[in-house]
Amino acid sequence: MLPTMAWHRFLDHTSEITLHVGAADWPGLLAEAGRGLAELLLRGAAMAPDGDWRSLEVTAHDRESLLVDWLNEIVYLAETGFWVPQEIEIDEASDAHLKARARGVTVEAAPSLVKAATFHGLHVRHLPDGLEAEVILDV
Amino acid sequence: MSDETKQPGSKYPAERLSPTCVEIPRSARADMRVPARIWADAELWKKAVSDRTLEQLLNVATLPGACGCVHAMPDAHEGYGFPVGGVAAFRAKDGVISPGGVGYDINCGVRLLAADVGFGEMKQRIESLVHDLARAIPSGTGRSGDVRLNVPETDQVLAQGSRSLVERGLATREDLEHTEAGGSLAAADPDKVSHRARERGRGQLGTIGSGNHFVEVQRVETIFDEDAAEALGLWKGQLTILIHTGSRGLGHQVCTDYVRAMDAVMARYNIKLPDRELACAPYESPEGKDYFAAMCAAANFAFANRQVITHAARQVFRRTLGDEGDLRLVYDVAHNMAKLEEHGKQKLLVHRKGATRAFGPSHPETPAAYRSVGQPVFIPGSMGTASYVLVGTDEAFGLSFGSTCHGAGRAMSRTAAKKVKSGQDVRKDLERQGIVVHGSPGELAEEAPHAYKDVDRVVQVVHDAGLARKVARLRPVGVVKG
Repeated sequence: MLPTMAWHRFLDHTSEITLHVGAADWPGLLAEAGRGLAELLLRGAAMAPDGDWRSLEVTAHDRESLLVDWLNEIVYLAETGFWVPQEIEIDEASDAHLKARARGVTVEAAPSLVKAATFHGLHVRHLPDGLEAEVILDV
Repeated sequence: MSDETKQPGSKYPAERLSPTCVEIPRSARADMRVPARIWADAELWKKAVSDRTLEQLLNVATLPGACGCVHAMPDAHEGYGFPVGGVAAFRAKDGVISPGGVGYDINCGVRLLAADVGFGEMKQRIESLVHDLARAIPSGTGRSGDVRLNVPETDQVLAQGSRSLVERGLATREDLEHTEAGGSLAAADPDKVSHRARERGRGQLGTIGSGNHFVEVQRVETIFDEDAAEALGLWKGQLTILIHTGSRGLGHQVCTDYVRAMDAVMARYNIKLPDRELACAPYESPEGKDYFAAMCAAANFAFANRQVITHAARQVFRRTLGDEGDLRLVYDVAHNMAKLEEHGKQKLLVHRKGATRAFGPSHPETPAAYRSVGQPVFIPGSMGTASYVLVGTDEAFGLSFGSTCHGAGRAMSRTAAKKVKSGQDVRKDLERQGIVVHGSPGELAEEAPHAYKDVDRVVQVVHDAGLARKVARLRPVGVVKG
């Protein structure tokens, strides 16, 4: 079977935004979730990544909380460092720990659209050809 | 269940108790500890069953220590964890506290400022006034506030809220008297606020942020209750300013930190939840106490944030109007908060997420100046409609833990709203109504009036139900958005 192309889309929610993401495997899903959040933080603006690769590391206590913590790490970096990761490579990913490298864009102003990734309705599901997840983002 | 107790669209048994209230019994779900009440007329009930509002409310009813009923206000809609517009109270002695029951924007709230001048006198200067306010008050993504705090100063704001701003000349004693809890929650402990939260809040004091936050210039269009309006110092035609914002990135990170912390310890307390976003811990536990202290500190940051914005608005008015440019703080009230309150001789943690405290005339926390009428409540509508001034009632204390609605309530997702009308078209619509608009096209499209419920209907329901009493209707004449 060919590896599933990673994908993401945004689903309707009355007041927030649901990020729906899919990939062939767990590292791919984490990377794509990061890219989806970056698209939202940059409000869809096409910006080429610049600068050096940065190392990122997140530890959580299970698979779902790792996904939430990873997205919240990106929210934190964007708001405090004015930096949004775009090219993301996951070097290691277990259920509770990830190591990643990323290149991104430096923005002039803190993108404050997303307050946090939440646990509400959060799921990571196995599909015949990979994994999918839904995360509600508080905006 | 008889046909009379079925309500259209609900998969749960539900009985209409009155034209403004529907009850879902505790027996509706095996895990519910208390019944649920939805404050809605027939039309708003249809909205409540159109998304996951009821399911989320019933999830809240499963939390340990829940008391009385859990409530959804007429503006309630689907959120995450708690529904937005949700109210729930938990016994302090053996119940829980839940960061998800407060939300990420801790102490998001509104304050109303009243000018000494009428709209008529200012009509020709509204456009420049709105643009001056937009220049003086950072909004949207990016611009930092003018107030820069070092570490001890940040600690002081977190510990004392608006009270810390008096010596700096950014607040007056009267401002404190007209702010919920005096603008300063004593249970705050800055040490419980993480370095990350402080980092996210850096440079954000005195800023509005994005989303549905705003500064709005209004005129008092209608007075419903002359005596109450007089007590609040409001008169027909008067110019007012409504400020809607919260604790910004600092509060968001406090919630993130403690949802994570509580998610990790719930098994230790044998708490099982239908939704992980309801992560909670016993109030009396170390985790519960730590969150409450951090939440109070974030709430103090929010009170101070709205106070610094008030100072900036006052400077603009004084530059524009000289001695006549006074802006009096009518009141400041939160709508995302957990408060330790006494109800019927019990100490309860009352969680209001997208719901406003609405204490009546006889409650000791109602400011002395308003004891004849009740605590002021402000209900922002949408940019093109209206906002309301109400006062709390003693009756609401028994009906809804002294709580009422907080806005019109979203009825449409941001994506759907943008499909209906572009930001440019929303701007044109508002300008045709004589409303000066300052905001990005994206924000205007997402926050357009058609994305919200009918605020007149929402407010009429809380008025008819006795959850608050209508005093005045305010019409927007200028809006500063993110």
